[in-house]
Amino acid sequence: MSTLDSTEAEGVDVNPYRVGLYLALGVLLLFFLAPIETGIVTSFKTPDAVSTTSPLVPSIQGFTLQNYANAVQQLARGMVNSLLYAVPATILSALFGSFAAYGLTLTDWRGQVGVLLLFVAGIFIPYQAVLVPLTQFFSILGLSKLAIWSLLGIDNAYAGIVELIITHTAYGIPICTILFRSYYKGMSEEMLESARLEGATVRRAYRRIVFPLSTPMFAVVLIYQFTQIWNDLLFALVLVQAESSAAAPVTLILAGLGASQSGTIFGLRMAGAFVAALPTLAVYILFGEEFAEGVAT
Amino acid sequence: MARLQLDDLTKVFTDDDGGEIVAVEDVSVDVPDGEFLVLVGPSGCGKSTTLRMIAGLETVTSGHIRLDDRVIDERKPQDRDIAMVFQSYALYPHMTVRENMSFGLEESTDLPDEEIRELVTETGEMLGIAELLERKPSELSGGQRQRVALGRAIVRDPEVFLMDEPLSNLDAKLRSEMRTELQRLQEDLDTTTVYVTHDQTEAMTMGDRIAILNDGKLQQVATPLEAYHQPANRFVAGFIGEPSMNFFEMEVQGDQLVHSPGGDASAGEFTYPISTDTREAIGDSVRVTMGIRPEDVEIVGAAEQSRDFDTTVDVVEPMGDENNVYLTFSTDSDRTFVATVGGMRRVQEGQPAVARLPEAAVHLFDGESGEALKNRSLETAEMTEPEV
Repeated sequence: MSTLDSTEAEGVDVNPYRVGLYLALGVLLLFFLAPIETGIVTSFKTPDAVSTTSPLVPSIQGFTLQNYANAVQQLARGMVNSLLYAVPATILSALFGSFAAYGLTLTDWRGQVGVLLLFVAGIFIPYQAVLVPLTQFFSILGLSKLAIWSLLGIDNAYAGIVELIITHTAYGIPICTILFRSYYKGMSEEMLESARLEGATVRRAYRRIVFPLSTPMFAVVLIYQFTQIWNDLLFALVLVQAESSAAAPVTLILAGLGASQSGTIFGLRMAGAFVAALPTLAVYILFGEEFAEGVAT
Repeated sequence: MARLQLDDLTKVFTDDDGGEIVAVEDVSVDVPDGEFLVLVGPSGCGKSTTLRMIAGLETVTSGHIRLDDRVIDERKPQDRDIAMVFQSYALYPHMTVRENMSFGLEESTDLPDEEIRELVTETGEMLGIAELLERKPSELSGGQRQRVALGRAIVRDPEVFLMDEPLSNLDAKLRSEMRTELQRLQEDLDTTTVYVTHDQTEAMTMGDRIAILNDGKLQQVATPLEAYHQPANRFVAGFIGEPSMNFFEMEVQGDQLVHSPGGDASAGEFTYPISTDTREAIGDSVRVTMGIRPEDVEIVGAAEQSRDFDTTVDVVEPMGDENNVYLTFSTDSDRTFVATVGGMRRVQEGQPAVARLPEAAVHLFDGESGEALKNRSLETAEMTEPEV
């Protein structure tokens, strides 16, 4: 209160605590924004300008859009590939997570707790621990050897996309289930009992009541999962392996972007990073309102 | 239209430690077609569990539920043709009122959309919510939501209505309005109804019969007036009626009852002479509880009879139409009993008063079991029994 009073009385706030607080906040702000600013500035510089000017300062003579043109050109196929698996895997893991959470929360059956514990345990499995079994599993499954690829005239490297869909869906389900579960626990039990009494089966009650009421949580889960899957490099590296593959995801191409024997083209790398981040930004903007509602509940 | 029978219905819950909790024990009630039965009791007495068993939301541990002589305990809730109104109304928030009311018909019948539309509109008109049909529940007031919840049950034209404290979320004025309206509706529809409440006023005013439950056990099934005037035991006597019946712990000594609070006759404050008939009704019981309703306690000018007692007025609660007068036998005692006197009568706190406890109005309950040994003489009660 004394702070407020002094502000009103003198018009200037000289409280040392506040001064310190704003100073610290300013430093933190700079700390977090500086790399992004550097990235943006660098992405518009020619390689010459990058080497001759300070990373933080924009250069007018060295301004170019060529980096973005190159980045888009080189990343385009990767972005298409990434969308090919990120969209289905996101939707599938959200849907399955919602189904599972409904079954584990709003219906009643024996052994629920045990199954729920398995889901919780699933969240804590480190990805590194499953890399070898995962590659083994898919090599035994042999999706790329299926005749369908040659029949359809598609490069069999796209089997990697299918593998990524399956993998990301599977590993996304536990966290989606837990997120939906916490949401469903707050849902009125009497409402679902009423639906049961009115003749709705468990499946119909989901479709007509639980699913439409889950919209805010779907926004949260879709944004979260999409960002996770889009940004993942580990599974892409293990399942698709080569940047040169026809099915290479954007992260895989981005990793090698602008690196050559003659040195690293920093401008191109920065531009590539921003281009690759665009779809996740778009998802945030699309579902932003529902996201806020879902996080608040 | 159906007759609903509960035969020795029992529900045992197993808690996390494996212990068993008996929520409902051997409850048997026969609800004839078209009757409005009120299940009443304090919280945790098992009334809601009983209702949920009838609905099929809880399994039955033992006993049977019969609907028109068909056992339905194994049937799924959706196959019982029962509609339930929940305390929270349980409306579907993302659907309009019309969609809320159509839901049950869409899920449980093959009626064409047009017919469902008509039925919903008709029911909406009957309940006075026709103009709200296109709104969402969040845009409605508590009373309107209540009507929608009722409409959702009525539109399905079920065999039995179950209502779980449907009025408890309404304010007092609206509640008494809805009470009357619900009764009228039920009479018009003539659908068998089981209504759960903890409010004895609702039970008294709404029920054709009331079933009083305590600790999972059925205490009495009777018409409201029977339960009021001829309670089966001390619990019913104390639960029904507002203000509650006055109770005195008494020891039987020959042809008189000696007040013995806590079983200690020396702490007693009065001695109550009893007639031969009453003495016979008591039988072998040594300790009895004497009960008398506040409206049967008369405040008279002077002590003229052996059943008149000198008391002091402790507190007066004016209710407008009547006064609740709290009396004590002696000024230093904190034990009070209540007398209800006319609202126009002036009674002052701290003044002496003579209380007359007429023997005809006295109830006696066994001190151990609480069973009624003698209820008030019924001449007056019979006169007030409504002619149906």
